[in-house]
Formats: sequence, structure tokens, C-alpha cells
Amino acid sequence: IKEEKGTSVDINMVDDTDKPDDKEEYELWKLRELKRIKRDKEEREAKILEEEEIERRRNMTDAEIQREKEKDQSKKAKKTKYT
Amino acid sequence: MANRTVSDAKNIHGTNPQYLLEKIIRSRIYESLYWKEDCFGLTAESLIDKADQLPCIGGQYGNQKPTEFLCLTLKLLQLQPEKEIIIDFIRNEDSKYLRALGAFYFRLIGDSLEIYKYLEPLLYDFRKLRRRLPDGAYDIIHMDEFIDSLLRDERVCDTILPRILKRQVLEDNEELEPRVSFLEDELEQEALAAAKKEKKDRSRSRSS
Repeated sequence: IKEEKGTSVDINMVDDTDKPDDKEEYELWKLRELKRIKRDKEEREAKILEEEEIERRRNMTDAEIQREKEKDQSKKAKKTKYT
Repeated sequence: MANRTVSDAKNIHGTNPQYLLEKIIRSRIYESLYWKEDCFGLTAESLIDKADQLPCIGGQYGNQKPTEFLCLTLKLLQLQPEKEIIIDFIRNEDSKYLRALGAFYFRLIGDSLEIYKYLEPLLYDFRKLRRRLPDGAYDIIHMDEFIDSLLRDERVCDTILPRILKRQVLEDNEELEPRVSFLEDELEQEALAAAKKEKKDRSRSRSS
């Protein structure tokens, strides 16, 4: 079995004891927690954006929707032209 | 006989609680040595010591052998102790493996709202847990990472977790307050202090 960094087949090689007031571990935790906060915030913002988009489309007339669709399609066509 | 669920157990998610682990894993557990030797005749109380002595968390390893962690989870599913007992498992500060086991079990049987309520505080717990990987080796995962994966992933420790509502849905229904990490408060305070200091410095440089 190949051993990667931080893993081991020997149970005694992987130390799970916690030191009280471990500053280093606390800093690492802080980093993880911040990442989680950021991730949750981004998800929330993405959802709001999506809802706004749905609302916008709802308020449009059929003609406007059609126009937008054509615009999107021509954009896509342009992209595929050169690939 | 010994592998039967207690007769007065309530169905969980519409099924026998033991069925929350897949059949193939269940039968591997029934055949494992740890199940036969250490889990026979356990009660919710005697299980605490066993959980405290767990060497690691994890699903299956090596030749698809179940970890002791999964065996005890199945035992809990079989015994169906009262919810308060499990909450005590989760709240206990002394034994991190008991806490991890309680959290994992609670994620299997709890409903969405309770799961967020009782598991999210554990995101502040950054103690180390030893985890057994599928190839049999061990590594370290922190309690908060484990809890985060319980809240978000579909599969943890080779077990399909029952679906729970997204946090946002519960927030929209006003059943749950948005989670504010105490770190955010701290950061805000720091930012405030920094802004104040800057203001002070500026006024000082102007006066000099």
C-alpha cells in the first residue's frame, strides 16, 4: 500500500491526541470555518441572483423573451464558429 | 436472533431502522468478528465505553471489512435508544469518538431541523479524529470537517445519508435562524477596531 502524506497503515503513526490550547490547530480551524462561511454566503447570493433572474423573466412579454432567446443563440453560434 | 431490531422500535424514515445501512454492509457487519465478540449483548449504556475506545471512524476498508464505527452505528440502530441519550452523546465533551458516533447516528435518524440544531454547534469542535480509509490506512480528519460533511454530503462513511432539507429552505420557512459563526462576530469586532485605529493614526499624523 502506498503511503501518502499524513496517512499511514500503522495506527500508531497517526496521532489523534489533542493538545489543550493548541494555537496552530485553532488557526487551521479558523481557516476552515472562514471557508465555510464564504461558501455559504456565495450559495445564498447565487440563490438570490437566480430568483431575481426568474422574476425578471416573469415580467417580460413574450416578444422580449423571444428577442433575448435569439440574442443568446446568436452568441452561442458565434462561439462555436471558431472552435 | 441477536441481529434483530428491538421489538418496540419505531420505524425511522418509514422503515426498520437497521435498513438505513445497506443490506450488503449489514450482512458484512453481522459476519465481522468485532460484531460477534464485542457488540453482543450491548446496551445503550455499555455501548458508551465501547464508543469511547473506538480507534477511528470510517466506513469499509481493505477487503470491504466494516469498521468498528459502523458496527456500533448498527448496534445503535438496533437498540434505538431514546433521543435524549443520543443528544447526551453529542453534547458530551470528554469522548470525541462517542460524540462522532452520536452525531453520525443522529444524522441517520433525526429530522432536518433537529439535525441542524444539534450538529451545527459541533462545527466549533476542532479536535482530531482518526479516520480509516478504504485502503486500510489511517489519516486525520477534524470534528468540524466530519460534521460539515454530515450536513452536506450524500454519502459519509460508505453510508447513504437520508435526505435532509437544505438549510436555506428551513430559513425561508422561518423555522431556523441563519447561522452566524462566532468567528464572524469576532471578525467584525476586529474590523471595527482596525478602522478606529486607522482613524486615530490619521488624526495624529495630521496634528503632527
